[in-house]
Amino acid sequence: MSGSSENHQSLAEMGAQASKIAAGRETWRVRGSLGITIGVIAIIILVLPSFVPTFVSSLVTKMMIYGLFGMSLNLIWGYAGIPSFGHAAFFGVGGYTAGILILKAGISNFWLNFLLAVLATAVVAAILGFPAFRVFGVGAGATNPIYFLLATIAFGEILSRVAIAIRPVTGGSTGLAGIPEPALGLGFKMTSGRYYYLVFVVTVVCIYLLYRIVGSPYGYALRGIHDNERRMQALGYNTWLYKYTSWVLAAVFGGVAGILFAYFGGIMHPTNLAMVTSDIAFLLVILGSTTVFFGPLVASLLYVGIEYLASLYLPDRWPLIFGAMFVLTIVLVPEGLGVRIVRGWRRLFRAAA
Amino acid sequence: MSQAAVTGLNGLSYAFILFMLSAGFSLTFGVMGVLNLSHGALVVFGTYVGLQIIDSFGQFWLAVTIAAIALGIIGFFIYFLFLRRLHGRVPEQAVLTIGLAYMAANLILWVWGPRAQIAHTPEVFAGSLTVGDLHFPLYRVFICAVGLVILGLLWWIQDRTRWGAIIRAGMDNKEMALSLGVNYPLVSTLVFILGVALAGVAGILGAPILGVYPTMGDNLLLLALIVVVVGGTGYIQGTMLGALVIGMLDTFGKAYVPKAALFFAYIVFIFILLVRPSGLIGRKVF
Repeated sequence: MSGSSENHQSLAEMGAQASKIAAGRETWRVRGSLGITIGVIAIIILVLPSFVPTFVSSLVTKMMIYGLFGMSLNLIWGYAGIPSFGHAAFFGVGGYTAGILILKAGISNFWLNFLLAVLATAVVAAILGFPAFRVFGVGAGATNPIYFLLATIAFGEILSRVAIAIRPVTGGSTGLAGIPEPALGLGFKMTSGRYYYLVFVVTVVCIYLLYRIVGSPYGYALRGIHDNERRMQALGYNTWLYKYTSWVLAAVFGGVAGILFAYFGGIMHPTNLAMVTSDIAFLLVILGSTTVFFGPLVASLLYVGIEYLASLYLPDRWPLIFGAMFVLTIVLVPEGLGVRIVRGWRRLFRAAA
Repeated sequence: MSQAAVTGLNGLSYAFILFMLSAGFSLTFGVMGVLNLSHGALVVFGTYVGLQIIDSFGQFWLAVTIAAIALGIIGFFIYFLFLRRLHGRVPEQAVLTIGLAYMAANLILWVWGPRAQIAHTPEVFAGSLTVGDLHFPLYRVFICAVGLVILGLLWWIQDRTRWGAIIRAGMDNKEMALSLGVNYPLVSTLVFILGVALAGVAGILGAPILGVYPTMGDNLLLLALIVVVVGGTGYIQGTMLGALVIGMLDTFGKAYVPKAALFFAYIVFIFILLVRPSGLIGRKVF
């Protein structure tokens, strides 16, 4: 068990490092530079569609969706220390609900649809949370999270098989195709060019909310549970409730990513519930660093880029490349790109001072 | 009644296939704390190697042996190169092995093509066993026999041998076992290899029943983890019990209520998680 406690310690150190960043112990200069960088990136993303071909803005849309998906998983994995391996369950439930509501229930209004799909995701997460946290035990480092990983893998896979089985509702194994452009109401005509901005706005709002959650006392309690759950219990925190609510919150944001994805591609497929999609989120989090807030977003830029190149040149070997990305991440950058970037960032600003 | 008896045998043989598939998975994570999510993909790889041997040489036993050896070698490299360094770091193990699973599945597709393979039952076992007026397919009986032998062997290793004692000691307190001079790294490597090789045997034996296609690894992994969670880990008899429950439930379900049968295993799985998270017979880990 020493390996596990060692790991726990190093995670705790990294967690402490991340807390320091978030707590604003770094200088205002670094903080300000971070704000300016985010602003610049936001402006670049906003004006990008006018300068680049459509496929690039479509890739950026995908990057934002996957980035949000990864960050939603990171809320429970990186902050609360709950490595869920079935996050696609919520991505898929969100997307499927939105699609089913449009195609089978005839609810075309985007906002109503969005709300109902988010609600559905929250309900599914609230139900699955009970069996999931039965096997989680106390403290991620204290007991082995293997059972939790297994249970969450199974959740996604089971939902995917359910989606295949109930063909009249979900379209079966061919998927739910023909999801139209979202109707925003007020006679606003949605095009794929405009959808880019919708995704941008929703993603920014979600990331802001995540940022506020992570920086709130609630977020610090999650980090405390990650570091030492028993101590948090001794301090009087109902740690189960914290873990459970963070699971539902992460699911909701994952569901939002799924809804955006459903409108983006116009199709939901059973694999969007299964391991294949969960693994994308998993890769984004570990590649982007569990301890860096924007990590998964950075990783999703790399991921979407590689996926696009692979689809151009080696479409048949994509799973091989995808798998190699996991192995290379663990072998080459086990701490993730985010930590590297933050480190380089600090060096840069120390050098400039 | 006769229908039920034949279905019972089918369920039993399916349970033994599930047991052989899951035993390696259960051994590696229940006993050593190593999560190998590439288990399913490796089984498929072993099956393809075996079928290739049958195609080329027409030797069933040779195929089983070679599949087991090939997987054993691959298992050795996976453990020696990667997993050894990730002891106790479960999320990292998961990421690594899931990556290997994708790579293996795609390599299989690359080498053998996307079409499902046809696995015939070996000619020796083509007939059926007649008891009274019931006909039991001989191959199913054979699988049950092999499964029983493997169950017995693993049980014996676990409870009666020095190896078993070392594994159990390592599971309880690895540092103490190491400091007492036990060569735990050697034993854990061998256990890992044994688990993967066993899965290769299961794959080739189960091929005529489960079918063979390149992407079946995910399905096998899901089956294995349901069996392991339902049965409980740490004891080989737990895995057997889980396999029996899931195998019987699935076979009888498919025979009598085919539409709902798909969900039986999942419902049992969720139920067990809620009511008895350590499995039917498992070490109390929570």
